[in-house]
Amino acid sequence: MPPIIQILGLPFLACFLMSLILGYLGTHVLKREVIFIDIALAQMAAVGSIAAHTIFKAHGDSALVYVCSFGCVLLAAGFYAFVRSRINQISIEAIIGISYAIAAATALFLLGIAPGGHQHIQHILSGSLLWMRWEQIIVSLAVFSVIGFCFYLTRKPIASISNSYQKGTAKSLSTVFWDFAFYVLLGVVITLSVEMAGIVVVFAFLIVPATISAIFRLHLHLQMIVIWIVAILASFIGLLFAYYFDFSVGPAVVLALGVELVVVSLCRQPMARLLKCPQ
Amino acid sequence: MTSEIVRFFSVQVALIAVVLVLHTYIGLHIIRRTLIFSDLVLDQLAAFGAMVGVALGVEYGTAGSYLPALFAVLFGALLLAWIKPKGQAIPREAVIGIMYAMALVASLLLGDKLRGGGTYVTKTLAGSMLWITWPLVTVTTVVYILILIFHFKFHRKFIDLAERPETVNNEKFWDFLLFVTQGIITVLIVPIAGVLLAYAFLMIPAAIVAMFTKKWLLAVVFGWTIGFLACLIGLCCSYFLNFPYGPSLVLSLGLFFILATIIRCLFPSNKMGFVKGGE
Repeated sequence: MPPIIQILGLPFLACFLMSLILGYLGTHVLKREVIFIDIALAQMAAVGSIAAHTIFKAHGDSALVYVCSFGCVLLAAGFYAFVRSRINQISIEAIIGISYAIAAATALFLLGIAPGGHQHIQHILSGSLLWMRWEQIIVSLAVFSVIGFCFYLTRKPIASISNSYQKGTAKSLSTVFWDFAFYVLLGVVITLSVEMAGIVVVFAFLIVPATISAIFRLHLHLQMIVIWIVAILASFIGLLFAYYFDFSVGPAVVLALGVELVVVSLCRQPMARLLKCPQ
Repeated sequence: MTSEIVRFFSVQVALIAVVLVLHTYIGLHIIRRTLIFSDLVLDQLAAFGAMVGVALGVEYGTAGSYLPALFAVLFGALLLAWIKPKGQAIPREAVIGIMYAMALVASLLLGDKLRGGGTYVTKTLAGSMLWITWPLVTVTTVVYILILIFHFKFHRKFIDLAERPETVNNEKFWDFLLFVTQGIITVLIVPIAGVLLAYAFLMIPAAIVAMFTKKWLLAVVFGWTIGFLACLIGLCCSYFLNFPYGPSLVLSLGLFFILATIIRCLFPSNKMGFVKGGE
């Protein structure tokens, strides 16, 4: 097997899987205008993971680490869903943004009182895509499939809430429940993805392809195809860039997504004609 | 020993008192217009600028490192004011969020090529407020007072920008000025307080008061008082319990925010109207 495939094969598979699910979730995040949600949830999951390591002395990727991360995500999901139903003076995005700061400070706080600080932060930020293992890919495939199926089953209520998210606060119990369900499912995907790729990559996979597709007014199916092509292409280019120019893999993929966004924004008119969409 | 404690507290308290006035006011603009990510973009660009300075041989945290940071921030302010998506499909916050990811990625990629780059990324996150000196406080105070005078003189324009943007001529120009002032205070505060604390200073006191009042002056006065009290508590915890500095202050501010959220949830009010969020 050529060395480039040996080195980049598994990272590419991981990016591929993340592209599929995060791309879809990104459309909802954009409609709800909760751009901070993934960084905040990822940071909450990171707090859980750091707490498991520093307070409960968990080792490596043990089950305890995932349980703590998931616990923190559940807490955050419940908080966001409930607070949105009660507070209308400031936007939910502001509340999520502040919860991110609190979570990040908690992470730094826990690391500050424990040794081994900055490598851990570097890891959370840029992840360890290059060191992917087959087990991680298989677990992610299984979890993402289950969650993808859950999203398929709940697509109607979740889409209807996403479409009317900015129109008013949600008072009914069922809206709070579906909101909670959305954030929990999103949180699980993010927790797992951040463990593999780091916060920045997950954020970029969620927001950038969805933004690129939103530049064109497309039908949902075509929109998803554009999102997936954009994300997979960026993974491919980013990984090659990192390989040949000796950069960290995660940030290189994000950079490729950013470049794609700039290119598409600049060439949106000919591309819109190509995709036959109204301008 | 006593004089050392007095010196430690007087310098820190003086700086925090000065910083919080302007941060609370600008924070109110950011919260009410849902430009939550803008501060992280400027913070991260300031940090990136400082890292470019390090790459060029300027020592981190010295007077010379402010210059590249200022350039980076001015560039960021220009982009923030200039790039404003048309239509509802892409929220402005999404564009700002992507800029943040790009700035962070630029820092991480640069960190790859710097000796001990990882530590710089962490340093810019956590800050080094413990090293504050009186000359630094003086410079910061003078610049802050100048910006305060500027904002006081043009407060009507900026408030219109938040409340009635359609009535403002040259909207992008005033937006740019808002981001430039935000950027200048960022350049001053990030090397001292770090990205996270600078963000918390800006967002948390403003978000707390925005939940309870729409009046600008009242909000600044109460925001400053609450922020100052929270910072004092954080400072004492950090000094006497030997907790990490920046995170202690953010967590203390965060506790006040959570308390305010609980109060608002227990006593919801529709009088102030729904914040639509986003632009």
